[in-house]
This record gives sequence, structure tokens and C-alpha cells, in this order.
Amino acid sequence: MLTLARWWYTTGWARLFGHIGQRASNVLAAFSVGLLARTLFDPFRQIAAGRSSGSLNDQTRAFADRTFSRFIGAFVRFMVIVIGLLAWLIVVLIGLVQAVLWPVVPLLPIVGLVLAMTGWVIG
Amino acid sequence: MNEQPVFNYRSQRARQARLRRRIAPSDIYWVLLLVGLVVAVGGVAIVWYMRQPWGWALAGLSGLFWVFAAYGRFLRDLPPKFKGTSVDDLLDADVLGGLPPLPTPHDLAEAILRARGGDFMAARLGIGPFLTEHASQQQADTQAVWQEALQLHFQLGLPSINAATLAAALLRRMPNYTAELAKVRLGDEDILAGVRWFAHFETLLAQHATRKRDGGIGRDWSFGYTPLLSRFGFNLSEDIGYNGLLTSDLPSRQTILSEMMKSLSAGARRNAVLVGQLGSGKTTSVHTLAQKLLTPGEDVPVELHYRQIIALDPARLIAEAKERGELEELVQRLCSEAAAAKNIILFLDDAQLFFEEGMGAVDLGNVLMPILEAGGLMMIMAMDEQRWTKISQANPALSQYLNRIMLPPADKDETMLAMQDELILLEYEHKVVYMYQALEAAYRLSSRYLSDQAMPGRAVKLLESSAGFANEGFVTQHSVEQAIEQTQGVKVDTASNEDERQVLLNLEQLIHARMINQSRAVQVVSDALRRARAGVRNTERPIGTFLFLGPTGVGKTELAKSLAAVYFGGEDHLVRVDLNEYVGPNDVERLIADASQDEHSLTAQIAHQPFSVVLLDEIEKAHPNVLNTLLQMLDEGILRDINNRQVNFRDAIIIATSNAGAELIRRRIESGQQLEQFEQQFTDELVNANVFRPEFLNRFDEIVLFRPLNQDELLQVVDLILQGINKGLEAQKVSVSVDLESRKLLVASGYDPRLGARPMRRVVQRVVENIVANQMLASQAAPGSEIKITVDQVKQMLERHDA
Repeated sequence: MLTLARWWYTTGWARLFGHIGQRASNVLAAFSVGLLARTLFDPFRQIAAGRSSGSLNDQTRAFADRTFSRFIGAFVRFMVIVIGLLAWLIVVLIGLVQAVLWPVVPLLPIVGLVLAMTGWVIG
Repeated sequence: MNEQPVFNYRSQRARQARLRRRIAPSDIYWVLLLVGLVVAVGGVAIVWYMRQPWGWALAGLSGLFWVFAAYGRFLRDLPPKFKGTSVDDLLDADVLGGLPPLPTPHDLAEAILRARGGDFMAARLGIGPFLTEHASQQQADTQAVWQEALQLHFQLGLPSINAATLAAALLRRMPNYTAELAKVRLGDEDILAGVRWFAHFETLLAQHATRKRDGGIGRDWSFGYTPLLSRFGFNLSEDIGYNGLLTSDLPSRQTILSEMMKSLSAGARRNAVLVGQLGSGKTTSVHTLAQKLLTPGEDVPVELHYRQIIALDPARLIAEAKERGELEELVQRLCSEAAAAKNIILFLDDAQLFFEEGMGAVDLGNVLMPILEAGGLMMIMAMDEQRWTKISQANPALSQYLNRIMLPPADKDETMLAMQDELILLEYEHKVVYMYQALEAAYRLSSRYLSDQAMPGRAVKLLESSAGFANEGFVTQHSVEQAIEQTQGVKVDTASNEDERQVLLNLEQLIHARMINQSRAVQVVSDALRRARAGVRNTERPIGTFLFLGPTGVGKTELAKSLAAVYFGGEDHLVRVDLNEYVGPNDVERLIADASQDEHSLTAQIAHQPFSVVLLDEIEKAHPNVLNTLLQMLDEGILRDINNRQVNFRDAIIIATSNAGAELIRRRIESGQQLEQFEQQFTDELVNANVFRPEFLNRFDEIVLFRPLNQDELLQVVDLILQGINKGLEAQKVSVSVDLESRKLLVASGYDPRLGARPMRRVVQRVVENIVANQMLASQAAPGSEIKITVDQVKQMLERHDA
């Protein structure tokens, strides 16, 4: 039991922090937050994004199409970045709660026993 | 390592390893977590709804389940201690957990065989029983094993001492280790190779389990749609992203990858043409690149990040483009789509199909050239060297726009690694296990017999075909040998079955059943064959090379025929080349012609049937150019055909015959000399008379003189011919016997000093068969009777023919 307790409050706790960091990093990667931020104003899926070497009228139209595509792209990417950051925040918060509760978990049987002995019930 | 290694049974890590073994953490982790949750919820529910305070005690118990669950998950990995120096710090948990307090080497062997690495070594090298049978039972011997294990661990640079490393250490510390291992055809290097293979296997599995597709959901949002490419191409990146790719980072392939990335990302010509033989790994290199681009590291240029490689399918393109000009238009549209999408690298495998008459009689070079020139589209092509040369010559401008990258064949170490990669899938598909000895044999035998591909492709091809010869699910060295014997018609295994051994041991008698005397010639040929089949010959040369000198009709050709019939499986295994038909300087071309031009050329016949007797008749008449061509065949067992393809003569016996100096031999024999007395002098005389050059004669293993047959031997020849006639009469159920007088008469009539015994067969057959035919037609020979031929009948028949 001593080995277990020592592991819980040293290696085990440290590993938990490692896992929380990994989970947070995975969320950012899954939502491509960094990549989307770097390409925020790129045309979206290259819709009508081809360059035109035609008349001035054609070039103007191509420019307008590209601008529209960039606008769509920026909007979609911004929304995904926001959702990604929210998800990241939730994961980090859950992780922090886990980290705070971690030292208490081995003590739960004692806490439960004390509460039972006091006779306290909810409500 | 000066310090003595220590094994501490009571160390924290050793205790954790034993606990890990007992509670099987991989199965129990989720169960404990779930039970903890149920207990917690149940306890709180009891307090809440039943208003019973003991519910708190129940809920509190959940903490214990969660603690054990977390600990169990940790135990599942139980990594080694990086700064550890004791054995228990570095030993893999699956071995550590199975050790008693004071382990003997035998205890180690048992723990090893229960662990993954030990299981691997037992299956791949077949050393399982060997380990337990030969391991010492003395605890005092264990210290030396620990010492060896630590030394191997540092020498091989492995992260821990796994069961495979410990198995190797245990083996190395056994008395008579080398001699005992040799009994299972293994050496020390093979054991170390097994340890490396296990480490490589573990790395591949870990690599396969890690995240393959990177970049997240928004990865491709800045790039265009590619509906046409989706229809006519195969997205390698997508496939690898979902299914993974089991390949190693071979050093030579790393260089190729760097060159490809450099060519694709820099300069105006953003393409790469992989040029190499079939099997050299062109397609695999492109797959490896696709995998690398999915998870780009620091060595990947930014221009290539998240690029997808799409392979175009020529067959589908041709099927779609039915009208003239449609194909060009379709390829143009595909290239435009790929360029507009901005994240595509087009891959044209067998790219010659796009440039030659292959694609529906259309050369797409004109379509592709402006695209390559513009440099807006990244493209990879793969083709073999001959096609590249052909295309470069036909369209020099096109080749100027292409960045050629040569792929040399892989060396042995890389081929072994490539085979280890490939066999993971092969084992899954064929439900077999490949042994290490099979891999070694596949490399050795494919190098020798499969010349149509380069390494590693040819070795992998042989491994794949060997799966059909697996024994109890294991592909062994023998399976690989059987596969090559079946497909190439050669004998590569040493003589193992009793019938073959008996044939080899009695080869002289069996040959003498077909030909008379010439004992020395029969013996040297038989010895050569026995050496070859016992595996004690030089495998870089033909089985044997012999020059037979002597008059006509004394058995030179007959010996070659007998050998082919007795051992090589029939007289059709005799490849006979009459060199008096190769007297011109240009006749070399006919000798080494490709099978498509002349299937009877020497090279074509041996390529088709390497296990043969090659008879080069009347060699003294061949043109010097022809003899020069044959030098390499005699020396190294190799001849290059007209297309420069290597043809292997290393499984053939080569017999050259010559009548040169026959008269001299006859005179010396008649003067009472023995062959052995003048053999060397005779050879010198042939060199001095410029009949043969000394460097040519030196290429033969043996030069054997055949002497003219004497009267007794000629009578024996008649007997052999009569045996043949009787065999032919078996169907008629009659037999024939000829008395001694008659046989002497036949010898006198059939023997010609210039032609030796050659006319004898004709004379005997004519006389005897005619007499038999007459008697049978006259109903004088009933089935079951014996026809006795008298000297008068023979005389009568001979006179009739002379008249």
C-alpha cells in the first residue's frame, strides 16, 4: 500500500498532468486551430479562385469571386477556431478539476466512512 | 560496464511487474473504472433517496476502484527507468514479472518464452526448445547472463532489456554456444539479427498505432475540390491516412525522399522522375513520401505540407476516352484540376505508358510538356532505366524538364528490413509465420535465380511465393528452397531424401550401365556432382567444367547424355551446342540471342532450364570470339545475353568436347602407353600447336583424355546395344540373344578406327532387327520365345547389305 500511495502522489500525479496537456493539445490539433488561423483569409476550397488573364471585365469578376471566397473562408474558419478554443477550454477545465481532486481520491473511503458515522444525509 | 549487474527481486519496479502479471491490467482497467462509477452513484443515490447515511461509506469505496484503475493503467506500460543501472530497472516488465527471487538461467529461459520477445525469437529462429534444454540450472551462472544482457542492451542501443535481448544473452553464455547453434543452422550474427528484428517489429507496430493523419478538420479547407481526380486517380495519402503504412525509414530511401522533396519544392521544374529497375522500390518510396507529408516534420519543406499524392490510373483513362483526342483533353483537365487545387502531387506510376504508344496509341508527352515547363503542378513519375533512356532519346526536350532520381538496388541489410516490413502483411494474408532462416534464404536465392527484378522486390516476391510451401504454418528455409526449385527448375537444397542419396553414391555404376569404361571421366563428373549436392562446392561457379579430349565414338557425348538421363531428370536436360556451327566472328550473337529471337540459343535454353548438362561439342572449331564469350561462363558461371541480361550457369555442368589430337592419343595407346603417363604432355602439345590458348584450358576444372576402346570394350558396347533392342522388343514379348562369334563379327563390321564405336549402333541395329523382323513375319518367333542369332545369319545379313 505504501508503494501505491507513493506512486499516487508522485509519478501518478505527474502522469495526470502529462495526460491533461496531451488532451488539450489534441483538441487544438483536431480543430486545426493553428492552421486555420494562419490561412484565415485564404479562399475557401478555392471556389472560383482561379486567376484570369482575360479582359479587364473578366479580371474584375475573378477578383470579386476570390474576395467572396475569402470572406466565406474567413467566416467558416473563424467559427471553427472559436468552437475549437471553447472545446480546448472545457478540456483544460476538466483536467484541472481532475488534477485538484486527484489527491483526494485515495482518501474517499475515509471521507465516506466519516460522513456515514456523522449520520448526515442530503436535503 | 565495470560494475557487476544486480538483480533486486524486492525493488519497487520488480514488485510492480509481478503485480502487473497477476492483475492483467489491460483487461481490468475499464472494468475498475466503471465499477467505481457505479459504486459512487449508487452510494449517493442511497443517501439521497433512501436517506441512509451508510451510502456515504459505499460511495467512498469508489475511490479504491479508481486508484486501482489508474495504477493498473500505469502498470500496463511500466516503462524502464532511464537512469537505471540495475537489471530490474531495465528489464521489460513481461519478463521481470515472471522471475523468481533467485533465478537460474533455466528460470530465465522459461520467463523469456512466456514474454513477447521470447515468443518472437522462438517462432522466428526456432530456438524455443533449445533455450530450455540447454540453459543451466545453476543459480551462480545467472550473473554472467545479466552481464551479457546489459552489454547487448548498450551495444544495440535498445531502450530496455526485452525478452529477445535476454534470450540472446542466455544463448551466448551457454557452453558450446556456436557449435550447438550450428546444429539448427544458426550463428551468433543470426541471433543478433533476430534481436534487431524484434526491436524493428516493435517500432513498426508502435509507429502504426500512432496518429497518421494530421492537420485536423480544417486541413484541406484552403485547397480546391478535385472531383475528376477522385474519379480517375487513387488518393495514396487518403489511403495511408486511414489504413496506415508499414515501412521502415531505410537509409537509402531517406536519401531518395530528400531528393524528391527538394525537386518538388524548389526551382521551376517541380517534378521528380524515379528511375530504377522493377522491384527497386519506386512505388514504395512514393508511398513513404505520402506518409511523411501527412505528418510533416521539420525536414519537410513548407511548400509540401499536407500535400496529397494522387496516382493516375492509365487503364481507367483509356476506358473513358473513346474518341480521338479525348484522352489528351482528359489528361489536360486532370492536370488543370490538380494545379488549381494547390495541394495535389500527381503520381504517374509506369510513366512510360503516358509517353509511348501504350496509352491508346497516343503520346501524351506533348500534353505534359507545357505543364512541366510551367512548373505549376507537382508531379512524380516512375519508370525503369531502359524506358527512361528510350524516352530521353525520343524526346530530349522533355527529359530536360524532368528531374531524374536514380534508385539503386537495395543492399542486404536494407533488403532484410524491407522483407521484415512486407511480411507483416504477408503473414496476415497467408496465415503463416516467416522464420528468420526463410528471409536469409529468400535473399540468397533470389539474388541468384531471380534476375527479372531488383532488390528488395525480388526477395519479397520469393517470400510471397514461399507461403504456399509453408509447413504447419511456418515458412522455413526449406519452404523458400522448394519455391525456387518449383519455379526455376533447379536443385538448391542439399540432397536429403534417401533415393537421391543412393543415386549420388552410386552414380558411377548408374552411368556405366549406359556407357563402357572411361572410368576417370565418369569419376570426375560424379565427384563434381556429389560435391555440389552435399553443399561443399564454390557456388559462384558452375557445378563443374570439363574438357573431354579424345577420338570420335569413344563415349564423350554419351557420358554427357548419361549424366543428364541419370541425374538431371532426362536427356532433355542436355543442352547441346555444336560449335562447328559457330565458326564466324558474328556467330556470338546467335549463341547469346534472346529467347524471343531464338529459343534454342545457349542463353535462352539455360535461362529456361538452369539445372542442365551443357555440352559444347567440337569446341576447337569455334571462332575465337565465341571462345572468349564462353570464358566468363566457365569462370564465374555467368553469361550475358544480347540484351545484357545475366544468365546463370551456376547450376549446370559444362562439358566441352574436342577431337583435337585424337590421332596422337590413338598412336600412344597403341604403343602401349597409359593415358595418365602422357596426359599433361598432351595438353602442352595442344597449347604449343595453338589449338587452344592456355587461358582457355585453365578455365576447366578437369581436362580428361578419352582413349580408343579395345576389343573387349567394343563387345560390351554391342551388349549395351542389344539390351536396348531387347527393351524395344518387350512389347512383342520376344527377346533376342546373339552368341559370342556373332558379336565379334558385329564388332569387326561396326568398328571404324576414324569413327570409333559410332557406326556400331547402326550396324548392330540393322542386322539384328532385320533378322528378328524376318523371323517374326515368318511366324518363327512366337510371343514368349527367344530368338537366337547365329554367326551364319549375321554373315548372311551383312553380305546382303554389302551387296
